[in-house]
Amino acid sequence: MDVNDQIHAQLVKAGVRLAATLPDDWVNSLIRRVAKDNQIRHVPVGREAETIAVCAGAFFGGVRSVAIMGNTGLLTCTGEMATLTLRHAIPVFCIVSGRGSIDDHKVYQEVQGRRTIPLLQAYDYPYRVIDKADEIESIPDAYEWHRLQKRPFVLFLTKKLLGVKNA
Amino acid sequence: MKTNDAMRVLAAHRGDAVVVCALGMAANEWWAVTRSEDSFYMHGGMGLAATFALGLALSIPETPVWVLNSDGSLCMNLGCLLTEAGQQPKNLKHFVVDNQCYQTVENMPMVNQNGADYTAIARGAGIAQAVLVDNLADLERQLPEIVAAPGPYFIQLRVDAEPDYQRAPPATYEGPEMKYRFGRAMEKKLGIKVFGPRGY
Repeated sequence: MDVNDQIHAQLVKAGVRLAATLPDDWVNSLIRRVAKDNQIRHVPVGREAETIAVCAGAFFGGVRSVAIMGNTGLLTCTGEMATLTLRHAIPVFCIVSGRGSIDDHKVYQEVQGRRTIPLLQAYDYPYRVIDKADEIESIPDAYEWHRLQKRPFVLFLTKKLLGVKNA
Repeated sequence: MKTNDAMRVLAAHRGDAVVVCALGMAANEWWAVTRSEDSFYMHGGMGLAATFALGLALSIPETPVWVLNSDGSLCMNLGCLLTEAGQQPKNLKHFVVDNQCYQTVENMPMVNQNGADYTAIARGAGIAQAVLVDNLADLERQLPEIVAAPGPYFIQLRVDAEPDYQRAPPATYEGPEMKYRFGRAMEKKLGIKVFGPRGY
């Protein structure tokens, strides 16, 4: 069972039945893994803010969901997250690639590497960075906790955890 | 066609539909006409009402879901049509209240006012059923067929721009109260669990 299988298994354990996604090369394998599960409705979207909106709508249908995207997309949609989910106190569980970390040497990732977490802190969005495989089993707890927090929660996956080579 | 009159016709044909309203004038008029709590009146996230409604529709596939979008919100996120078309939700009807202006900000003109064909855009995005309705008689005549047809269905409602947006004030509750009233209404209406045993 690889790391994406493990994350998928924990999302299933948390009761997730819908995934709204937009690709980033670090999380594409996870997106493919989730999309392969016939018990999870896969909703590809046109831009990352829509992952938040899909999940917010699913919340009111009683369906547990996850938004999967890259760090760039998260950075660009934090304001819309605020006006929708902070405004109405709606929990949304996000899994995001930790792009822009010290081991990510793509020039177009450097801004998000420096500014996404300070921005999350400014909005008071809780987050956690998962760097080791044995931390993946905390996902069901994190899921329950984010519902209690009534706001978006971001789980960052590191390059080391994902075993990314060339991206 | 006045927005309030169009909302009255929609309300008469609503049946069991759950309604999501984009923020602004259309939401205010829907509240004025229906006072319904099984409608979600979005107070932020401009451009995201249709995608929010899609997430809801996919979660309750046996229940009709209507989104009362606005032209301003649609223009802010035209990509919502692609996302919607990608899912082909049979229970979703997408109404766009099109008054060709940003009515709640002093009727400033809509981007590319008079120059865009939203139904053509919707069809181009992959929503095969897309119609423009610009008068009450046609709305009355066409709505039963629209309601009965499987979705997705895109309906552009061309309405008059009206100068006084405060004529129809917003719903009398907002923010977290909107969440709980709507969530509880969903639980009662559909027999589902939105909130856990401790209320969150």
